[in-house]
Amino acid sequence: MSVTSPTAQGGRASLRPEWVVGAIFLAPAFLIYVTVIIYPMIHSAWLSLYEWDGISPTKRFVGFDNYVTLWTSNRVFWIALKNNALWTAVALVVPTAMGLGLALLLNGKLAARGFYRGLFYFPAILSLSICGLIWTWIYHPTLGFLNQFLGWIGLEGLQRAWLSEPSIALFAVMVAAAWHNTGLPMLLYLAGLQTIPREILEAAEVDGATKLQRFRYVIWPMLKDTTFVVLAITFINSLKVYDVVYVMTYGGPANQTQVLGTWMYFLTYNFNRIGLGTAIAVVLLGLTLIFAIPYTRRLGADK
Amino acid sequence: MSVAALDRTRPAEAPYAGRTPIPRIAFYAGLSLFALLWIAPVFILVFTSLKTAHDFSHGGTFSLPKQFEWANFTRAWDVGIRIYFMNSLVMTLVKVPVGVFIAALAAFALTFLRLPGERWIFTFFIVGLVVPIQMTLVPLTLLLRSVDLIDSLYGLFWLYLGFGLPFAILVMRGYMRSIPRELVDAALIDGCSWFSVFWRIVLPLSKPAVVSLLIFDGISTWNEFILAQIFLRQNTNRTLPLGLVNFQTEFSTAYELLAAAQLITIVPLVIVYLFFQRYFVDGLSGSLKS
Repeated sequence: MSVTSPTAQGGRASLRPEWVVGAIFLAPAFLIYVTVIIYPMIHSAWLSLYEWDGISPTKRFVGFDNYVTLWTSNRVFWIALKNNALWTAVALVVPTAMGLGLALLLNGKLAARGFYRGLFYFPAILSLSICGLIWTWIYHPTLGFLNQFLGWIGLEGLQRAWLSEPSIALFAVMVAAAWHNTGLPMLLYLAGLQTIPREILEAAEVDGATKLQRFRYVIWPMLKDTTFVVLAITFINSLKVYDVVYVMTYGGPANQTQVLGTWMYFLTYNFNRIGLGTAIAVVLLGLTLIFAIPYTRRLGADK
Repeated sequence: MSVAALDRTRPAEAPYAGRTPIPRIAFYAGLSLFALLWIAPVFILVFTSLKTAHDFSHGGTFSLPKQFEWANFTRAWDVGIRIYFMNSLVMTLVKVPVGVFIAALAAFALTFLRLPGERWIFTFFIVGLVVPIQMTLVPLTLLLRSVDLIDSLYGLFWLYLGFGLPFAILVMRGYMRSIPRELVDAALIDGCSWFSVFWRIVLPLSKPAVVSLLIFDGISTWNEFILAQIFLRQNTNRTLPLGLVNFQTEFSTAYELLAAAQLITIVPLVIVYLFFQRYFVDGLSGSLKS
């Protein structure tokens, strides 16, 4: 019996057309998703064209003035943009490379392999905000582990007020974030390594390829897909970074560690500049799209 | 591509540890030292949480606790953590199953029902994965204000449901596509309704995806910070991540108390991680099959 359209052959399901059933199944998700994500996105873009304090009943339409203001006269916006660029550059390289290194290291024959993997992945299950709190404590100028350790090994000269010196505070925060962010690339690369057929590696070894050559010419090209996913996720997450900066430095000292995410928050909720805040959000979305478009295309594409 | 877990994989690459004993010992020594350094922040946290205030101010950060001061935990619990903990627990236990159920319904429709523009609907949901959360904050504030759900866990519940959906739909749909269509067709011919096909056949078969989502979403919900921070005000409404930050400002010098509070937050995660590591990892990688 050929089953082309089972619903047409009887049963209660045939009472309604398939698309109506589908609409019923999709309705709860659709309703929630639209109210929580889609509608607010559109509304934000709309609000970025107004000058508004968030309270008064009237808004003033100003066109693209908010963007012009950010571009020309909002000094902190530029600090935040620069910090985001720096953050993204570091995040694309450091946790990614560490994750790849750990994955290669922990993919071979190894005693207690599962234990090591679990241990290195562990910080990734903590929230970034709690990682921030833990590291704030490590960076404490007098009681913190880092300065005490430096003192203990006789390197007092290297002791710093890690989170209050403008030139190093952002990097100190990046370290905390890297501790958290290494787990995911490690996991994804471990998964990617599983897809490489062992025969290919053995063939390369028989042909006399060194470990480095095997990595360069066999493993790395075959991890291309994984690398794309890792970089896309890292890029998207780097742009919207918020909690770890909020918790560790609150954007300070003197706004030197503001990123777009925190500056958007301060403009909107502390200074009531709704137009400027939503304009930053739109800028963030625009930057995100660089990676987000190919990434969602890939996720949406079926084999 | 169903991807393996932390501890049950085949080695794809020749062992990195050398074949002769000396390099191998050096390799393990190096790896262990790095591992120790990697996990040191957690050790420091545990030690700090077990010290008395006096021990702490005299012995320094480095030393082991002289005696175990378990009272730090009960004190942290009593001065506020209990409220935050219960808020987080109830939120997680209610939000996560509801969210996964709603996502499973949607994924079922997107997988087994012939819908016009099915691909577009799926992509539409996936967009939520890449939207910066900042893009939604102001309108959500206005929206919640208009229905009087600012500073309410009910309002937050709704938002958490929304932000959890894209990933959950991605994972559920990815898994459901591996279920043979014939099973569904056969059940329909036997007179099953679409809902009973979903509830009695597809959902039970999707158990691995459901379990990994429950764990993954549970961890995300437990950890969520930015929405809680923006939409919760009163102390009695705070969830753990927000409460901890508040704790930090309130008890800024009682480090042993802060450490105990942070540890209380982490422990449920550790337990879940230890028991369900395999599912958690499978689900995460399952979402990335291409």
